[in-house]
Amino acid sequence: SDQISSPTSKRSSGETQTNRHLETSRRMSHNDTIPLYQSSQSDIDEIENMMNAGFQSGPGSVLPARPPSPIRPSIPVSSSPFVQSNLPPLPPSSSSAAQKATPVPAPPSLPPAVNFGSSEGSKTTGFGSPPNTLTEPVWDTVKRDLSRIVSNLKLVVFPNPNREDPGKALRDWDLWGPFFFIVFLGLTLSWSASVKKSEVFAVAFALLAAGAVILTLNVLLLGGHIIFFQSLSLLGYCLFPLDVGAVICMLKDNVILKMIVVTVTLAWSSWAAYPFMSAAVNPRRKALALYPVFLMYVSVGFLIIAID
Amino acid sequence: MDESFSNLQTSHLLGSVPAVISEDDKKSTNVHISSVNEGPSANMQIFPPHQGNSSKGYQTLESPTEGPEQQPSNNWKGYFNVYSYAQYFNVDTDVVLNRLMSSLYPTSGDFFSKIDANPDLYGLVWICTTLVFVLSSLGNCATYLVKKRTNSEAPWVFDVNYINLAASLIYGYAIIVPVAFYFSLRYMGSRADLLRFWCLWGYSLFVFVPATLPLLIPVEFLRWVIILLAGSASSCFVALNLRSYLEASNDLTVVLAVAFGLQMVLSIFIKVWFFP
Repeated sequence: SDQISSPTSKRSSGETQTNRHLETSRRMSHNDTIPLYQSSQSDIDEIENMMNAGFQSGPGSVLPARPPSPIRPSIPVSSSPFVQSNLPPLPPSSSSAAQKATPVPAPPSLPPAVNFGSSEGSKTTGFGSPPNTLTEPVWDTVKRDLSRIVSNLKLVVFPNPNREDPGKALRDWDLWGPFFFIVFLGLTLSWSASVKKSEVFAVAFALLAAGAVILTLNVLLLGGHIIFFQSLSLLGYCLFPLDVGAVICMLKDNVILKMIVVTVTLAWSSWAAYPFMSAAVNPRRKALALYPVFLMYVSVGFLIIAID
Repeated sequence: MDESFSNLQTSHLLGSVPAVISEDDKKSTNVHISSVNEGPSANMQIFPPHQGNSSKGYQTLESPTEGPEQQPSNNWKGYFNVYSYAQYFNVDTDVVLNRLMSSLYPTSGDFFSKIDANPDLYGLVWICTTLVFVLSSLGNCATYLVKKRTNSEAPWVFDVNYINLAASLIYGYAIIVPVAFYFSLRYMGSRADLLRFWCLWGYSLFVFVPATLPLLIPVEFLRWVIILLAGSASSCFVALNLRSYLEASNDLTVVLAVAFGLQMVLSIFIKVWFFP
């Protein structure tokens, strides 16, 4: 649309523009793709409004706080108000590296004007204060993603008071964590296999990735309410105990120890996945939704034991 | 009751003749409904779902007339929408457990009457997946135990090919055999319903899941006894239920014998490939 192309035309003469406009326009052309989620389209509209407001108000002025974007969908179990996560969303530089749909999450309702002019990486949305997340050091970007992965992990896998409320728990889901855990599990299994290493990795990766998709489809077909990518994210995070088990089994090669370790981590994974899956379906169909999850984790556990 | 109901309906229509025509309409559309909805897949246009209609026996009066008009525009959407397939998974835990238990009793030929109102594909999908997993894992366990028993020096290697083999065998059998029976029975003129056939064959494979566990015992004779028992139970289940489903006709016994024979061949394959 011409609204998006106008910043690029301005960019050609942009040497005289302020840094803010330059970064904003570069951000816009960077994101000149069809958004996959409604919320990201509305975010792009908000950016354009902000940019137009910014061009009119001149450099150095404080922009008003922008209204919060629509809340990103999640499991509709509780009616809790929007939990303001203190982690900013995925910056576009790492989202373009992944070929995944990472929709823009709802920003915190802090006015982004607080961070204009500051040069260090700050806790605002990527679209709200463009210069800071683009010019920040790469380590800041990576650290932000890592901290989000760690916080999601703590929410999902470890006992904490928020676990019983699935709507609140994985609100800030991402797909980096599951990707990392699946690849790590495949690599660990492949490392510990003595022959056919690439086949083992292929089987493990395909089983986990296809299994997560099929499990989510199973919940949807049973009439459950679950967001597809949130469920993928959850099932990926629940693999963390099995990752730990696989590392332990790689280091020690005793069959009895392996069986004990795998059983314990399997129970841990199933316990982690239980509240989310059972809350998503009709209570009469809880077992129908949970059994395939258990089956997948048992098969992965068996793979861990059997590879030596 | 009926009269008052039909009176209510026709009060909206101007100048319509009340009871008789509407009842005729209802009757004719009811006939149409029952033939269309005999199984959702008796008519091949319906089984790949074109709208998210429920598979219950009743449809509203409007839908048979709406169906032909909506089909050309919505037909392709039904294939790719997950929710239009949710009608085949409309079962609760106790219903599934009930069907699983009844599959273990091969001699009561009432499975089709049990699933008539609500056939499900949940059993097919997850019983086959469980069987694939069980076969590949226990087959590997069996080779491991044999190696340990003979104390051979060769290192035991987890054979990933078992998964491929099990998946192709079980999924191929469970999907293709009911399709073949459906088409051949339709060709021979009997009534056949693809969805219910898939349901029947899916649940018939359940008996192999618990039967695979004692197959680990490395005694050859015992393995053959177990697999023949399980295979005959499963085959009797399939054959007897088919017999009670199809109307009596003289070429029926061939079909039943073929069904019985195929299930026995499957069980023998399981024994030979996974537990040699």
